[in-house]
Amino acid sequence: MDYIKRRAFLKAGFLSSAVIVMNGCSVFGVTTPRDTIKVLQNDLFPKAKELGINTADYISIVLKHSRITQEDKQYLKNGVKWLNESAVDMYKKQYTKLLVQERQAVLKSFAQESWGSSWLDTILRYTFEASFGDPVYSGNNNEAGWKWLEFSGGNPRPIKVFL
Amino acid sequence: MMYDVCIIGSGAGGSPIAYELSNAGFNVLVLEKGELYDESTFSKDELAVSRRDMFTPPLKEQKHIINEYSQSGKFTRYDGEKSGWNFWNGSMVGGSSNLMSGYFHRMKPKDFELLSSYGEVKGANIVDWCITYDELEPYYDKVEKVIGVSGRIVKHKFQEPRSTPNLPYPMLETSEVTSWFDEACKDLKFTAIPTPRAVLSQNALGRDGCYYSNFCGSYGCSSGAKGSARAALLQKCDATVITDAFVYKLDSKKGKVTRAYYYTKHGVKHVINAKIFVLSAQAIESSRLLLNSKNEEFPNGMANSSGELGKNLVFSAGGAGSGRFIFENLTKEQQSALMQPGLFFNRSLQDWYDYDDGCRKYKGGTIDFLFEHQNLISRVNREMYDEEGNLLWGKKLEDKIHKRLTTSRVLTFEVFNDWLPTDNCNVAVDDEVKDKYGVPVGVINLNSHPQDLEVGEHLAKKAVEVLEKMGAVEIDYSISASPPPNLVAGGCRFGDNPRTSVLDKNCKAHDLDNLYVTDASFMPTGGSVPYTWTIYANSFRVADVIKKVLHLG
Repeated sequence: MDYIKRRAFLKAGFLSSAVIVMNGCSVFGVTTPRDTIKVLQNDLFPKAKELGINTADYISIVLKHSRITQEDKQYLKNGVKWLNESAVDMYKKQYTKLLVQERQAVLKSFAQESWGSSWLDTILRYTFEASFGDPVYSGNNNEAGWKWLEFSGGNPRPIKVFL
Repeated sequence: MMYDVCIIGSGAGGSPIAYELSNAGFNVLVLEKGELYDESTFSKDELAVSRRDMFTPPLKEQKHIINEYSQSGKFTRYDGEKSGWNFWNGSMVGGSSNLMSGYFHRMKPKDFELLSSYGEVKGANIVDWCITYDELEPYYDKVEKVIGVSGRIVKHKFQEPRSTPNLPYPMLETSEVTSWFDEACKDLKFTAIPTPRAVLSQNALGRDGCYYSNFCGSYGCSSGAKGSARAALLQKCDATVITDAFVYKLDSKKGKVTRAYYYTKHGVKHVINAKIFVLSAQAIESSRLLLNSKNEEFPNGMANSSGELGKNLVFSAGGAGSGRFIFENLTKEQQSALMQPGLFFNRSLQDWYDYDDGCRKYKGGTIDFLFEHQNLISRVNREMYDEEGNLLWGKKLEDKIHKRLTTSRVLTFEVFNDWLPTDNCNVAVDDEVKDKYGVPVGVINLNSHPQDLEVGEHLAKKAVEVLEKMGAVEIDYSISASPPPNLVAGGCRFGDNPRTSVLDKNCKAHDLDNLYVTDASFMPTGGSVPYTWTIYANSFRVADVIKKVLHLG
């Protein structure tokens, strides 16, 4: 039972757990995956917010999913650290504290590296899952993502999420 | 409890046996590793079905080891879990036939006589089948009627002989874009064939007709129109089906299988006794089970006195391509026809089922044309990069996604040609790696013959001609040696000679009196069409044999 409780705690805490951002060899600050991913998703695909789709909360589903490996979940968190370290490197601030133009400059530089581009690719894929998956997964609010792309979905629709 | 027949695997290879034998009054048990999903539980959930692979086992629990051979004979080893290379298809009652698109083509008479018709090919283990097309024809016909095949027969150069003039069910409704294809083919002097589909176009056989959901391939059918082994056969008979039953070993004594052992997902062990055992776990897993069933009688694996068990694994060779139709090049009416959802494309070409390149005659193949799969997330994901391969984001990305998905549509094609059997393409079991049940995993040794690619290229170029004529842009294709995991056959070749084959012409193991293998394992060569129709037909044929054996018994 303790094991199960601890696992549940870890899952719940993943998005709000601390990510230590380094500046060279010293600790620069602490951020959380949730804050960074939320801002980043809006930089990458602002249409979701415009359509009223909550893509950040969908990341909680990703982290709970039995079919997504622990390595892939850890990769999400690692990328948060890398992105923030790029931000600190360029502007001496964490990603979420930068101005819009500064964040775009960080993204441009970050995407030049294959590891940076791969991680952004992963974030975009989860963002699209939230935006264009079935509304039962709580993203794609009122089928707003489908309507934007003139897509009618397939029937029958799922009645529960597959985790 | 002694069953008359115990069938291992509930897909297209096993279910015709279950259907025929239980309807004949025999006591039939089907053991299925996966779960039961049916019309009431299927949905079009892209996240679950396509992004999270809900119908296949997690690779961290069950995987394969894959050795990919190059032409020089060297190989690279891949761990299925680490590489994500997934050879599972549909782990569920009815198997992957639930998820097929149901493109149904019969094999042609020459497919049964590949060696005699086209001669030897260096480096390939080609043989003739030990049965002819004529022997299987009545069973192809039976599948049309029992599983339900819709379409319209069009005469063409390679049309195989038929005992009936037409298919029993009318064609499914098709998009108006199909007429663009027919016009293009007419100009090119190609023969456009309406693709026969294992999908009912009307209510029949106690099942509802197609409701044009827009999601066919990869998804379960919620009306029962698709001729899955579950909908068409298991739900129409009294065979007992036990799910969550992973058969890990067979036992034998004096040339007879005596027992099958299975584990549940919780590791509980069960034993089944039966007079006859039928193995149909899909080609790779059937060989694996027999190789894992070593005993004193069969130290190299059950039914393996020939040493041929697991050998000559084949896939469907070929590849896929596509072209895009964009609004800028179309009238308003054409734009509207292009974007009409739900309707099928259903066109095939078989003009080059064999061809001559000026030097010699080649066995060619089939090209099926279909609209790009409607999975929305997948289609959006394909727009993430610009033409130089740079990741896009923000407004540029949004504009690209919106324009591409709302003002253009992709027509794809799939090429099917023979994957020639070779020495380095086979199934083995790993000495160390085990699955979650503690059973040695299957090793898939992969090798393709250079001719497979040559033929695939030849066919793909013909498909490109059609797309060009139709006015498509961004035409592209890829012919590769990459094996489609859902189109796999061989490993337990049938043949007349017990020294060079595992099964006899009735798909009974040469070495054992009561063991039959009825998935695609028996096929010595794969033909140049998807396998499912042939698997069904052959299994109905073997069912007649087993019926006679049991009646005599």
